[in-house]
Parts: sequence; structure tokens; C-alpha cells
Amino acid sequence: MISRRAFSAMTLAASASAVRPAAAQDWKNSPNGLVEKFAQMGISDILGAAISQREKTDRFRVLFKDFFDIPAIGRFVLGRFARAASAEENAKFATLFEDVIVYTWSRRFGEYKGQTLKVKDNAPDGDAGALVNSDIVGNDGQTFAVSWRLRKRETGFRVVDVIVEGVSMAITYRQEYATVIQQNGGMGGLLAQMQKQVDDLKAKVG
Amino acid sequence: MTQKTSPPVSSLSYPILAGLAALALAGCATKPPASDPAAVAAFEETNDRLEPLNRALFQVDQALDTVVFRPVAWTYREVVPDPARRGVTNFLRNLRSPISFANSVLQGDLDRAGQTVGRFVVNTTVGVLGFADVAADLGTPYFYEDFGQTLATWGVGDGSYLYLPVVGPSSIRDGFGLAVDNVAFDPVSWYSYADNPGWVQWAYFGALYTDIKAGTMDVTDELKKSSIDYYAALRSAYRQNRAKEIRNGAPAPLPANGNGDPFAEAPAPGK
Repeated sequence: MISRRAFSAMTLAASASAVRPAAAQDWKNSPNGLVEKFAQMGISDILGAAISQREKTDRFRVLFKDFFDIPAIGRFVLGRFARAASAEENAKFATLFEDVIVYTWSRRFGEYKGQTLKVKDNAPDGDAGALVNSDIVGNDGQTFAVSWRLRKRETGFRVVDVIVEGVSMAITYRQEYATVIQQNGGMGGLLAQMQKQVDDLKAKVG
Repeated sequence: MTQKTSPPVSSLSYPILAGLAALALAGCATKPPASDPAAVAAFEETNDRLEPLNRALFQVDQALDTVVFRPVAWTYREVVPDPARRGVTNFLRNLRSPISFANSVLQGDLDRAGQTVGRFVVNTTVGVLGFADVAADLGTPYFYEDFGQTLATWGVGDGSYLYLPVVGPSSIRDGFGLAVDNVAFDPVSWYSYADNPGWVQWAYFGALYTDIKAGTMDVTDELKKSSIDYYAALRSAYRQNRAKEIRNGAPAPLPANGNGDPFAEAPAPGK
């Protein structure tokens, strides 16, 4: 039997969500909620949607810009090299970096086989941020540990890094690009190689 | 008089390591000038003092990969059904339990040492010689402790990144650790010391590296396709994954990027 207090709490919660339409946006201010929403939208609107590959890529770009703080990721990835680069180079990098990620992820949409994301828990991280731990569970029962680094911005939480089995996307790009900058003609060399990569990926993704 | 059959890989690892050390002297990376602080900082963060040598070894390995390892691993995956391959993975992991046990003890981690014994007993009996990982289903998942990790917990730094053909990404510390594990703690080496035929150890290494390659191929392929400099991306990914193993899965510390939060919001425009 449900206790009276629990029952009234449930009624209260139900009526509160009914009279407060803003509650629909509450996930933006909840670390777990944001990650769950990202996975849910990614699966229903992109991965599992019956639309063309091009449309999937376009939708993913919108979703990615909505949920990720791309400028903050780009600044971390370039690190100290951003200071030595010109304003044009930094702007060009920001555009190319977004393209690199959008097309890299898009290329793999066809491999989706019904995996689901299960958020486990979260811990405080950095300045007013959170690290959300989740598992991606495949049909064969195999799981990957994926952690999401979030930061609180004006509009709510944003993702600044994705860590798969201990490997951070941001750190991997940062260390790879540092090597390219040093060994392939500085910032200009990196931008040229990124441009070439984006062109190749675009041709493949369509 | 009995002629002792020498264990092939154990006896080989020393000349290989000695040869690498000699080559290393010729293959050192040049540290950037102090006038370029960004480059110096990146050099320290990468810690690949043998980069010219490593890149050469990496090229050799990639060539071997194309003509030998990949076709073998690919065929193995095509021919042997998934549950059987999982059985092989479980069997090899169980067989190598002494390595995890010895290193857990050396790290003073009696909890993990006990878990290793428990897993070994359950999987060898109920799991039929280790082919089924029953212990994982009962709540004690697989983990691996090696001598490289032991040295790390003792405070030994990785020295430099080291790319070993066949083995793959490693470091001076972890390469040394691999040789120690192989000579001292690997039960197949013990078997070879006891006057048994040498092919057993070769077959074991063949099975071990085919199993590892078949399991990691998809991830490394993806990294190769999505990177500009695959060598550098693999080096970074290996380092991070290795750090996670050394931490026993505890969350990674926040990376540094100057002062404060590395993912801080941009300073207000016009500042």
C-alpha cells in the first residue's frame, strides 16, 4: 500500500509538471538528463530515422552544436598553439574542427545496430561541471564505458569532452594536432591537412 | 646429458631489447629550442624521445600488419564463430592469471590478488578450463595487472614512448615489464623451462597475438580512418588507455591547459 505522504508527493509532482511547461526543458540543467536527451535525440531523430544520409549529417550538425561547446573544445585542442596563431587561423580552425567531427561521426551512422545508452552516475568536475558515466550496451551484451565531461553555461549544460574506455576525444585530438603542427609546417600545415581530411570525408559520406 | 630446449621468445627478448637500445641512441628526437615554449611543452607532453626510431618501427609493423597479422586475424574472425573466439579469449586470460596475481601482490593490492585467485578457481572448474568466464557473470569482471603497471605504481615513469613491432604501442618501462612478465610469471614460459618442446611457446604467442589483434582491429581501424597522423593519434590513445589501467579504472584527473579549468568558457569579447 502506498503511504499517504508518498501519494500526495506524487500528486504534487504530477500537478507541478502539468502547470509548469518549462519543466520540459529541465534536462538542460541536469547532467544525466542532458546526456540521456542527447542519446535519445541521436537515436530517434538521426540513427533510427528513415531519412537520407545527407539529412542525417545536417541534423547531426545541429544536434552537435546544441549539445556541445565546440569553441571551448577547440581552444583546449589547440592549447598553447592558439596564442601563436592569427585570428584568421583560429577562425579557420574552428570551422574545420567542427566539420572534422561532424563528418567523422556521420561516416559511421550506417554501423548503428540498436545500441542503447545507460547513464550510471555523475561526479562534480572542474568549474561547476560534471562527469557523467554511462555504458553503451550492444545487442550482443558487450558494453563500452563512455564518460561525458559537462560544463555549465548560460543556457544549461554543454558537453566538452567524450571519454571512451579512458580515451578522451579532446586529448587525442590535442596531442595528434600538436604533432602535426610541429612536423608539418606549423598551423598552416595543420589547417591544410584538416581541409584535405574534410574533403575526403565529405566525398565518402555524400 | 640432456640438452635443454631454450624457450624461444624469452631468450630472444634480450638481444631484441639490446638492439633497440643501440638503435635508440641513433634514433633520438631533437628537443625543440627553448625560444618556442609551445613546442617544448608539446614535446614534454608527448614524451616520445625515440620518435624517429619509433616511426621507422611503426612503418615496419604496418607493413607486416598488411601482409601477415591482418589477414590472419581477419581469417580467424571469418572462420571461427563468435562464441568460440570468446572462449579462446577467456581461456588465454585464465591461463595468464599468474601474471595478474604476481603483479597484484607486488603492487600490494591484496584485494585484486584475491580476486585473481577466486576467478581462476571458478573459471578453471565451473568454467571448464577457463573457456567460460563464469566469475564475471558472478560479479568479478576480468582485469589485467602486468609488471609495467607494477613499476608505475612504484613510481617509475614510462621513460619514453616505444613502438614495438608485433606488440604495438608500448614504452621503455612497459617493454621491460613485458619481458619480465614473460620470463618470470608466464606459466607457458615455466612449461618451456621444463624441457618441453619449443613450438608450444611459439604456438601460444601466435594464438595470443591473433586473439588480441582480432579484438582490437575495429578500434584501431577506426582511429586510422579518423586521424591525420595515425601514429600520433595511436600514441595518444594508447597512453590514455594505459593510464586508465594503471589507475585501475578510477576517473582520470582533469587534463591541464594553462591555469584553471581547461574547458573554461571564453573570456568576454573585447577583453
